[in-house]
Amino acid sequence: MLELGLIVRALLRHKMAALIIALQIALTLTVLVNAVFMIQDRQASMARDTGVNETDTFYLTSRVFAPGYDYQSEIPKDLDLLRHTPGIIDAVYINSVPLSGYGGYQRLQLQPGKDQSSIIAGDYLSDDHLLNTLELELIAGENFQPEDVLIQDSNSAQLPAKIIVSRAMAAQLYPDNWQRALGSTVYVDENVPLKITGIVKTLQGAWHFWDQVEATIITPVISLTDAGIYLIRTEPGRRDELMPEVEALLAHSNKNRIIRSVTTLQDTRDESYREHNATNKILLLVVVTLVLVTAFGIVGLATFGINRRTRQIGTRRALGATKGQIMRYFMVENSLITLAGIALGAIGAVALNIYLVETFAMTPVTPDLIVYGAIAVFVLGQLAVLYPARKAALISPATATRMV
Amino acid sequence: MLSMNNLCKVFQSADIQTHALREVNLSVNEGDFLSVTGPSGSGKTTFLNIAGLLENHSSGEFLLDGENVGALKDSARSRLRNQKIGFIFQGFNLIPDLNLYDNVDVPLRYRGFNARERKQRIHSQLERVGLASRMKHLPAQLSGGQQQRVAIARALATDPRFLLADEPTGNLDSEMAQGVMSLLEEINQQGTTIIMVTHDTELAQRASRSIQIKDGRVSEVPPLMKRVIA
Repeated sequence: MLELGLIVRALLRHKMAALIIALQIALTLTVLVNAVFMIQDRQASMARDTGVNETDTFYLTSRVFAPGYDYQSEIPKDLDLLRHTPGIIDAVYINSVPLSGYGGYQRLQLQPGKDQSSIIAGDYLSDDHLLNTLELELIAGENFQPEDVLIQDSNSAQLPAKIIVSRAMAAQLYPDNWQRALGSTVYVDENVPLKITGIVKTLQGAWHFWDQVEATIITPVISLTDAGIYLIRTEPGRRDELMPEVEALLAHSNKNRIIRSVTTLQDTRDESYREHNATNKILLLVVVTLVLVTAFGIVGLATFGINRRTRQIGTRRALGATKGQIMRYFMVENSLITLAGIALGAIGAVALNIYLVETFAMTPVTPDLIVYGAIAVFVLGQLAVLYPARKAALISPATATRMV
Repeated sequence: MLSMNNLCKVFQSADIQTHALREVNLSVNEGDFLSVTGPSGSGKTTFLNIAGLLENHSSGEFLLDGENVGALKDSARSRLRNQKIGFIFQGFNLIPDLNLYDNVDVPLRYRGFNARERKQRIHSQLERVGLASRMKHLPAQLSGGQQQRVAIARALATDPRFLLADEPTGNLDSEMAQGVMSLLEEINQQGTTIIMVTHDTELAQRASRSIQIKDGRVSEVPPLMKRVIA
């Protein structure tokens, strides 16, 4: 018999202590659910596939300082040198690097004209070696041919005839069937047509915080600039060994530029998500601290309640309560307080989430997270009260006669 | 129905052994009203605790209704206490957070009676002690004598065969003490065996049998001596 009625009536006579701990539990659940949701959200964001081979790839910047530098001939020479270096699988000259925070974009329209709606896409300018260099998976269409690639000054407005898009981009253009994108024509600069000749499975853009980071295109253009990026993929396991070698090789091959910022894609990813990682650690610390404070609060309240009721417990034992029944009394009592806290906390979690969604444009918390949070808090409450309840069960029935 | 043979109780703390009860040989029969007297620290409460299965004896034999209770597990002792023994304490030991109805309900719940049975027993016992009209009151709203009556109602609610009373009138004025004592006598006359620890020799004489405990040794006080004391 759970003595529910007796426990509730006894609790109602000591409302304040129970209310304080219930509120603490409610606050814990409110913060726990939203903090875990934010952590999960960031983790999911960080876990997204960039679509590229991050392990074996690095890049560097070639900064030209000499006047009259012949980019048209020097860049192909650099690429030829890199592509023929033992240990390097492929290399490209590119305008930006995934997740680096720096890059370009295009506005694509399905129809030509001035007032047509457009979709923004992260734009990689490179050549027909990019798919191989980044180890991108081509899921429809074909790669560029060398003759498709335009080599031009970065200020040039000339555009090629073809582009390759990511599947996410294709799905934005044709939400009902992304495959329709292949062979279709899109327009940039209001009326310049570009034919989609290939679709890659995944290719993230330069900005991790952009919600459309996976909407990207590859334009076959080598855009000549005095701070160009060479992106290089090595044979597996040789990246770190080749990084200083490649740096020295390029530096010696042409003294009219300096090579700097030799960086791996993994380091770029880590740097990009550094703030996410730090925020998650802080949130985790807050959650753990709050959970511990609540657990200690429950232990404290239960211990106080048991000390206050030592003779009462002895009397109950004298009247026939077994150790198990005494233990169960405190577990049930704690369950009721915890459930009250959980009910308040669930309301609080939703309210806080609504505030966060409206203020910071976050996605709404899912109901299952509230359910899991409630279960976790309930289990926490029961674990916290286990020791005091066991202590109570060990109070001798003789206490009933020994204390006056 | 209650038999103690060479029963001893020794408290051990660090290097000190305290002999609370020494070789107690005692039989209590059905319907007895046994008073237990003795100076403070003589072992009266220890005797009552052992008789009421609130603590274990150290050696010797203790039979309750023929059952050797020394070897019983804690849960079995709890069950026996609930089924066969009712307690009345000097400090009443009512649960302050519960009203009279709920206080009497506590042992009945441990017994596992259904709600209807419990309600019937609670009403019946509270009526017996004259407090049925105040069953929604809290203990603090009652006088000491009334609280002790509630404690008696609670003790009797499970129909125990023994009623163990530890200084039941110790916290009451003489008028209330007389009332409680009369109630105990009435209960005894209805067949319940009572063992009552008391300091009050006058009340002790109203029992059908008396024992005295001194330095842990139990001796029966013969009826003649009771009269002389009176």
